[in-house]
Amino acid sequence: PRLMQVRWTRYNPSYMEPEVNKEFYKKPLEELTEEEREKMELKAVRPIKAAPPNLSSSVFSDPMISKFTNMMMRNGNKVLARSLMTQTLEAIKRKQLEKYHKAPENEKETIECNPYVIFHQALKNCQPIIGLSNITKGGKTYQVPVPLKDNRKRFLAMKWLITECRENKHRRTLMPEKLSQELLLAFNNEGPVIKRKHVLHKMAEANRAYAHFRWW
Amino acid sequence: LDHGYGLPTAAKDFLSSVATQDVPTPERPRAIFHTSESDPAKHTEQHEGRHYGIPLEEVKAVFPHGLPSRFQQQIQTFNEARVMVRKPALELFAYLRSSNFAHPAVRYVIYGERGTGKTMILCHVVHYCSRQGWLVLHIPDAHLWVKNCKELLQSSYNKDRLDQPLQASTWLKNFKISNERFLRELKTQKKYVWGKRESTEEGRPLGEVVDQGLARVRSASDAVGVVLKEIKQQCHHGSFRLLVAVDGVNALWGRTTLRKEDKSPVSPGELTLVHNLRKMVMNNWSGGAIVTTLSQTGSLFKPSSAYLPQELLGKEGFDALDPFVPVPVPNYSPREFESCYGYYLERKWLQHEKARTEDGKAELQFLSGSNPRQLDRLAGPL
Repeated sequence: PRLMQVRWTRYNPSYMEPEVNKEFYKKPLEELTEEEREKMELKAVRPIKAAPPNLSSSVFSDPMISKFTNMMMRNGNKVLARSLMTQTLEAIKRKQLEKYHKAPENEKETIECNPYVIFHQALKNCQPIIGLSNITKGGKTYQVPVPLKDNRKRFLAMKWLITECRENKHRRTLMPEKLSQELLLAFNNEGPVIKRKHVLHKMAEANRAYAHFRWW
Repeated sequence: LDHGYGLPTAAKDFLSSVATQDVPTPERPRAIFHTSESDPAKHTEQHEGRHYGIPLEEVKAVFPHGLPSRFQQQIQTFNEARVMVRKPALELFAYLRSSNFAHPAVRYVIYGERGTGKTMILCHVVHYCSRQGWLVLHIPDAHLWVKNCKELLQSSYNKDRLDQPLQASTWLKNFKISNERFLRELKTQKKYVWGKRESTEEGRPLGEVVDQGLARVRSASDAVGVVLKEIKQQCHHGSFRLLVAVDGVNALWGRTTLRKEDKSPVSPGELTLVHNLRKMVMNNWSGGAIVTTLSQTGSLFKPSSAYLPQELLGKEGFDALDPFVPVPVPNYSPREFESCYGYYLERKWLQHEKARTEDGKAELQFLSGSNPRQLDRLAGPL
């Protein structure tokens, strides 16, 4: 890495995490709970860890969007990944706004133009509820249906979206175009990613018999 | 229409300039960022900072080329073309109105940092002049003529020069769309021979020369040269006014990225299109005006921090353009920023919930530094 790292993973345990949210500091003292009051007193005395580069105090920052950009990033090229993300959001907004302006009055409220709402809803629609894991018993490996943790669900949804865009599309289309199309389809519960989720659910349903192999 | 109502602190300065009509019911509080005056000739300081709309048919007729690509996308998304009236444009209108057309043409150079709206001001001036009935010679971006040229032919007219058929034919096509009327009225004053069997007689309308250039692409650059020469000669008589609007005029005197077949670099003077355009930009004719823009964005071999005329034009260009009127274009003033922000909110371009708050607005102003291009880029994904 070219930059000198300031934030190490091994800090002295007395170091505290930085608080970036501006709203927190604007609250008057009476509204804070007991724990928060203790934390504020500690902050006056203890040293604080350096803030990581992907943490921002901007009102427009969104942790899901930054996670998605990190997953799209290749070879550490965050500049390119972030510009692709902004172009995708803009493309979604343009498509929806064009539809909005051409629609008749009574349908205008049903069209969602906010790209962030569409992004979050599409991710939620793509998240599988139940997954499969390989468990070896008696020499044979079985695909056992297993409940997934929230983080794993989010990761799988994002991973499926990105691989779908990278592999199954025409070579010459640009990533923002492909991604905006996929996100809009997922928002309406259509498209190949939703199909993949349904296929996974069906496999899990088919392998119900092995569910007792799970021990956690 | 422009109504002033009880508004939050943000737009109080607009209220002071509008003759407040006390109408009790607020219809559209954001309407004060627009003005219904769609004729640029009637724009005054009262309209400064407001957006005026150009009807879409006029946009297709007056601007077949010349609008920035992001603005064209904006027109398509919002289904309307709204341009902000700014102070440098109003200044230019005052100069154009009071200029004496018997004197040689005055040259105006619009300069400013990157992304401050120079091209949009040029388009505003072009719209004004076309509304007034002038003949508008609009070159959208002179940088396109000195780089990325696939075909370079040796000119048949002059052995040293090089022709660019593709660029010349696209320009002729767009010129024909914007100035149909003049091409029918103006007549050639000399006989031009294009090849063994093709020639244009004296007294034929100029539209024939343009059609000849479009039909025979090999002689398109010469057709452009003929059109420019004819227009310049006939402007003296005073039957029409001529506006020469060049975007990126620093391309005419810099270096090019083109090479001849023996890999030696081409200087701009060796290209027919650039040679003829340089003659147009000279102030040895009367009966019109020359409005140009400097542009660092498309320029070749110039550092990105250069924006002053001396730096971008170089010694040769500055001497050629020497007595000119500089028109600086600054970033948005607080009032113009308010207007732009209000316009985006009203058109539902800013969709993020936090973008509507005071914090969001302060953050947008800080991050963009009131630079129009940065604000446009930032507001895109939000």
